[in-house]
Amino acid sequence: MGPDSGLPGRHLVAKLAIVAAMVLALLFVLFPVYWMVITSLKLPREIFRMPSLWPQVFTGANYRILIEDKEFLVAIRNSLIVASSVTLISLVVASLAAYSMVRFRYRFKGLIGRLILFAYLTPTSLLFIPLSILIARLQLGNTLHGLIFVYLTFSLPVSTWMLQAYFAAVPRELEEQGMIDGLSRLGALFRIVLPLSAPGLAAVAIFTFTGAWNELLLALVLITSESRRTAPLALNYLITSDVLPWGPLMAGAVLSSVPLMILYFVAQRFIVQGMTAGSVKG
Amino acid sequence: MRQRPTSTAEPRLSAETQQNLFAYALVVPVALLLVGLVGYPLFYAVYVSFTNMVVGGGGDWIGLANFQYLAGSPVFASAIWNTVVLVVVSDAFKLAIGLGLALLVNERIPARGLFRSFLMLPWAMPAFVAFLTWRVLYQPIGGGINLILTNTGLYPEIVDWLGQRSTAMPAVIVASVWRGFPFWFISILAGLQNIPAELYEAARVDGANAWQRFRAVTWPGIKRVVIITTLLSSIWTANSFESVWLLTQGGPSDATMVFPVLAYFGMQTQRIGEAAAVSVAMLPALLILVFITTSLMQGDESERD
Repeated sequence: MGPDSGLPGRHLVAKLAIVAAMVLALLFVLFPVYWMVITSLKLPREIFRMPSLWPQVFTGANYRILIEDKEFLVAIRNSLIVASSVTLISLVVASLAAYSMVRFRYRFKGLIGRLILFAYLTPTSLLFIPLSILIARLQLGNTLHGLIFVYLTFSLPVSTWMLQAYFAAVPRELEEQGMIDGLSRLGALFRIVLPLSAPGLAAVAIFTFTGAWNELLLALVLITSESRRTAPLALNYLITSDVLPWGPLMAGAVLSSVPLMILYFVAQRFIVQGMTAGSVKG
Repeated sequence: MRQRPTSTAEPRLSAETQQNLFAYALVVPVALLLVGLVGYPLFYAVYVSFTNMVVGGGGDWIGLANFQYLAGSPVFASAIWNTVVLVVVSDAFKLAIGLGLALLVNERIPARGLFRSFLMLPWAMPAFVAFLTWRVLYQPIGGGINLILTNTGLYPEIVDWLGQRSTAMPAVIVASVWRGFPFWFISILAGLQNIPAELYEAARVDGANAWQRFRAVTWPGIKRVVIITTLLSSIWTANSFESVWLLTQGGPSDATMVFPVLAYFGMQTQRIGEAAAVSVAMLPALLILVFITTSLMQGDESERD
């Protein structure tokens, strides 16, 4: 679509104002991302002595320091383990619950629905202190298992809440037909409802994965040994331990966000749908 | 609904009882986990806030002593004030930018799809990455903001944005607006796209100007979305730990101290009772927000059924 075809019958001034607004918005959005990338590719002496918009020398040194000296790949691996486990557990458990809430009528359903929404909105900052005591009592302190367990506090409510909306959109008649053809209730869920809700499952999976990948506060409170740090935790300790480690820090920022950004651009349609389904009437 | 599950026929139970048991069995794991991981910890936090518990030990009931201590503490007062400022000011900017850009993208503009994708970028980045990047951007040495301001001649002096009291809070706000506005943008855009085009046509036929069309058609169409987004964003911003922690850790001299960071510092000093009291003191205000949001969103859900 050319610019002219997009703006029929408008004054040139209006067109220019629109383009100017778009350029400003893009600069505001993109400049930080640009700065993150080029800082990660600059030599320390350039970062600190000759600030410039374009590196004079491109270097992979920051990435090497981060990976070899700081063992950042261990942190990435821990993050992958935690985030995928949380996603898998949430998808299974939340699918069952969401299906039950959408398809059946029973006592306490309203109460459970309110509990789920309430849990979705209850922020981690209110929970991290009691959760850390709880986890210590369960002997799960400083383990990835403990982290996976507490991450269910935010992943389960949001998954159940979002999946309800997707399951409700699957026509009941399809399921009833399937059951007449010999499927059990669970069979109807797995053979009919889940496949038809595939975009929803993808959105929920991405949401829970990113939620767990991004979490810092609980990780900070629960994880004490270096070998069990997740990516955000490793970068957090980079700024508190070293002096001005901007190069390696931004290298870590790039490494931790690239997978998610690719995921986002590939699955954008589902994500935007899910995002608005979670909060906004669809 | 009353279809009898064929595979698990159990003669003594009626079909309805069976179905109820099945429904409960599916929902019980989530219900139990949420009671155990959200409900119980919330009540436990309230209990702990009335004790002098320290890390690794029990605590004695000390009544309101922790809250009395907080009431007299200047850090706590500034944490409350800063939290309110952060929420109100950054939400206002997120609304203005989100609404403005949603209105823009809802028009027929060049490269609309691509533009929309780029606008969502800050939200697609992990929050910790976003705030660490802004921390670097604000640096007096090696930061991009100072470079731009001095190069373009907008402001000739190097400023330590995060290091001085007068600029630290505005700097935190700008970074949270950057990270937070896409959620407003996309929610409002979804609301705009649900408004039937005929309504605009009718308003145009009636001779309404742009502002009148906004008041009569656009605003009623997105009001509900804006209210829910405001509530959600307020809850999230008030509780956002990463933003302040990664940018300033509450400094310089508590100029950006917010309550989640204060509670975390409390835990680090091993006095859990006091730390819990910081969170619990915020509980009433947050619960009110959460209850309002819950009832609005549940209203949505029952309409959907």
